[in-house]
Parts: sequence; structure tokens; C-alpha cells
Amino acid sequence: MISSGTLHVIATELTIGMFALSGIAFLLCLLKKGPLSREAVAHWALLGGLMATPFAIFTGLNAAPGEGIENPLLANKMLLSTASAGLAIGILIRRKWGGDVDSRHASIGMISVALMLTTAGMGGEYSRNETLLYFVPKETVFLFPIWASILLIVLGVVMLGKSAVEHRR
Amino acid sequence: MRVKAATILFLMILSSTISTANPGGEGDAVRSRDCAGSCHASSSTNGVSSATLSIDFPDEIYAGLLMEIQTSVEGVDVSSNSMTGMAILINSDGAKDLPANDGWEVITDPNGGTNNYVEITDSFSSQNVVTRSWTLRAPSNPGMYDMFLAVQHGSPNGGVAMSGISNLTQVEVSAVPENLPQLAPDWTPTNTRNLGDETIIKLETLNTDSATVELKIGAEISEISVVDGKFTIPPAVNPGVVEWRVILTGEGPTQTSPWFRLTAQEAGWEIDETALYLQSIALLLLCAGLVILRRPVGEDYNKNYDNTDYISTEPEETQMMNQTLTVATQESTSNAGPPLPPDGLPGGWTTEQWQYYGQEHLDKLARGEI
Repeated sequence: MISSGTLHVIATELTIGMFALSGIAFLLCLLKKGPLSREAVAHWALLGGLMATPFAIFTGLNAAPGEGIENPLLANKMLLSTASAGLAIGILIRRKWGGDVDSRHASIGMISVALMLTTAGMGGEYSRNETLLYFVPKETVFLFPIWASILLIVLGVVMLGKSAVEHRR
Repeated sequence: MRVKAATILFLMILSSTISTANPGGEGDAVRSRDCAGSCHASSSTNGVSSATLSIDFPDEIYAGLLMEIQTSVEGVDVSSNSMTGMAILINSDGAKDLPANDGWEVITDPNGGTNNYVEITDSFSSQNVVTRSWTLRAPSNPGMYDMFLAVQHGSPNGGVAMSGISNLTQVEVSAVPENLPQLAPDWTPTNTRNLGDETIIKLETLNTDSATVELKIGAEISEISVVDGKFTIPPAVNPGVVEWRVILTGEGPTQTSPWFRLTAQEAGWEIDETALYLQSIALLLLCAGLVILRRPVGEDYNKNYDNTDYISTEPEETQMMNQTLTVATQESTSNAGPPLPPDGLPGGWTTEQWQYYGQEHLDKLARGEI
């Protein structure tokens, strides 16, 4: 048996490794430089990182001392990782539906990667109290009221549904 | 060029240090001696600590009752953060060495927790002695027991993790005399409280006629009355520790408990977790939706399944006959990419690659990059 902490390290290494690879490939797509395989690498690595993300989140919650979320860093990690996962899902679906890998597509991919790497950096600060992200306001959590979150969920579902319907036309 | 790069990498690998302790520590926990989990490398690569380590036990230790021990770390220089990891263990083997394996229970560790390994920041130096108190519950079976104090810390110059362990200290745990006034075996003290909250502590005792509580704040000791087995410790204004002990009298010899430490701390950070989870889901859906909504425009969009043009322009009977030809024509015209060079496709290129990346290749040729 291994502890939740070790399992979290494994899941995090997988996630961050693949997201970092994807970020480099998206950068090459943005610059239109490098091998022709850059688009495939960017999207497949993003998919791999995305698949490992839930494991990283849940093992991280299990590995955290105490019960529940008792630190603003953990709350911000949660928000950043889900935002990053949302962008990554959008990028992958858009590409699957035939979207072109233009500069905006590549930029959004890089933003998704940057958010996930920031999340990992905050994890290092939480566990070891060391970070390079000195100027990121990590101790402040911007939390919407529940009604606003529900409204945003409805908005997101409508946008996804609209995109799916338009794609069928 | 490759040889130079390989040489530089090789020199960088050679310049790395063998091991170093985690400079910020790993946090208090229930840990075995095998470096107490605080080092990156194997304990076999550590240095040997020069600290003089000792454990002081009270004269009488009764089975199953609470008692206080003092651990001392003397004469050692540590790393610049002045932190040392300190563990109480029952053997020096590095395995099955937790106090709980012999029936000891850590009631209050020096940091106010219940761990056998704690990280202490203090003025460790070759001239100083750093002492800490632990409150333990003795094993329930009388007999002779072994105890060790182990430490790990950094070195003043960094680079090497140091570890050390004390000599064996043997203690005798005696059977509890009849009618001995004592705290109930299943009673445990409160270790922490929030600032501004007064603390009501309920004592559970056996063979006790009366109890008196002494409260120590700094060097001042005051008495607190116990009513119906309860007493109240006034609220703390600043973070810190107050100590208290109870003097139990009854038919048997009067007993004085160890000093219990009550740590006052600021209230923990709280968040509405339902709102947080809902916002996380909202962010995921919203971000995905926003990206997907950004539809491809014009000819960039590959209408993989859109055959409307062919259906509307061709007669039904010829449509079936020409279907294969149409698909081939469509591929070769609408998505054909830029015109092929006079020499045909560049070496190693496929037609599909030329459709997507041909223009980029021609641009590079024009700029002289290829």
C-alpha cells in the first residue's frame, strides 16, 4: 500500500509532465515553428494531462491534512485546476470538431497549461512553504455566491448545448 | 556541438550534491526513524549528528496513567533556519519503532499535537540546550520499556542531512497501587483552542475525593476551583501556551498530574465548500463553453459531413454514380492546398501534409529559411 501523498505525487507528475509538453507544443503552434507533429503532440498531451487531472485532484484532497478545505491555497488550487480543465476540454472538442489551430487556439491552449502549472506551483507552496509565484495573490479566494455559480453553470450548459447543435448543422 | 552539450550536462550532474534535508521540514507526524520521512535521500547517505540527546522520566511511572517526559538536544549547530526534527522511538532499528508499538500514547507533543515526530525551531547551537516536554500515557502492562530520542537536522553549511539517536533509556512502568487517585484511563486533555474562547475542561477521575487545578501562565501559578468536576480557563488574547495540572486527593497517596499544555491559536480559515464546488463546476463548464463557442470561420472549418452542395446541384441519378468521384474531386480541389512546386511534393511529404502545411513550407522557402 502507498499513502495518498505518494499517489498524489504520481498523479501530479503525470498531469504536469503532459501539460508542460502540451504547452511547449502549443507555443510552437503559435510561432508556427518546429516539426509538423506539433499540433498532434499539443492536443494528445493535453488529453493525457486532462485524463490524469481528476486523479491529481482527488488524491490531493485525500492527502491534505485535516478534513475539508482549510486553506485558501487549496481553494484557489481547486478553482484554477477546474478552469484549466475547462479550457483544455474546450480546446480538444473544438479541434475534434475541425477547428483550425490558429494563434488564438494555441494561445488558449497555453493559458490552460499556465493555469495548471500555477496550480502545481501553489501545491509546492502548500506542502513545503516554498514558491516562485511571489506576486500571485494566492491567499485571496474570489468566491461567488451560490446563485451566481448556478447561473454560470446554466450559462455554460447553454453554451455547450448551442455549440453542439450548431456543429450538427 | 553535441559533444559539448553532453560534456556540459555531465559536469552539471557531477556538481550536484548527494543529499540534503527538506529545508522547510515535512511537518509533524507519526513517523518511524528512517529519516522520519524528512530527507530526500537514503538515511545511509546522511551525516552523523554531533548532538547530545537525552530523555528524563519522572521517578514513578504507573501503567496506563499520564506522565511527562523531558527531551533535551544539546550542543549542535544546525542549518540557518534553526529547525530540528525530534522523534521519540522505542528502538533504533528504523522499523516497528513507534511508541504505540509498546503501548505508549502521545497525549500532547511539544507542539500541541499528538505526534511522535515534531519539528522544533529554536536557538540550537553548540552552546545551547533545547528542552521540550511531552505528555504520554504509559503502557497498560507493567514492566521495563526502552525509549530513544532521535533527531535530524541540516548542517550549518548546508548540503548534508544529519541524523542522530540517543543511547537507550530504560524505564520501569509499575502497577497502579490500590485506591490511587488518578485521572480516568479514557480521559484525554484538550490541546488547542481558538483565541478569545474560554475553555471549560471536564475532569474524569477515579478514587478521588477532591481535585485542585493549578494554572501556569509564564512563571506565575494560580489556583482554579473545580466545581462538579469542571473548571474554566479564561480566554487567551494572544497566541501562546498556558499550562495546567491537577492535584488529586483521596484515600490513597495524593497524586499530581503532569503539566498539560493548552495552545491558543487563531481560528482556522473556513470556506463554504458547497459554493466552492459549485463555482469550480461553473468555471469548468463556462471555460469549455467559451472556447467551443469560438467557431472556426470561413474555409478554415472542415465541414466533414456537409454534402449539401452536391445534393443540391446534381441530379439524383447521377449523384450515386459520381459519389466516389465527387469525394475525390472535393479533396483535390477545395482542400488541395497551394499549387505543387514544379518538382512535385518535397521529399517525405504526403498529400495531406501538403494541404495543411504546404503554404507554410512555401513561405519558408521564400524567406530563405529552408
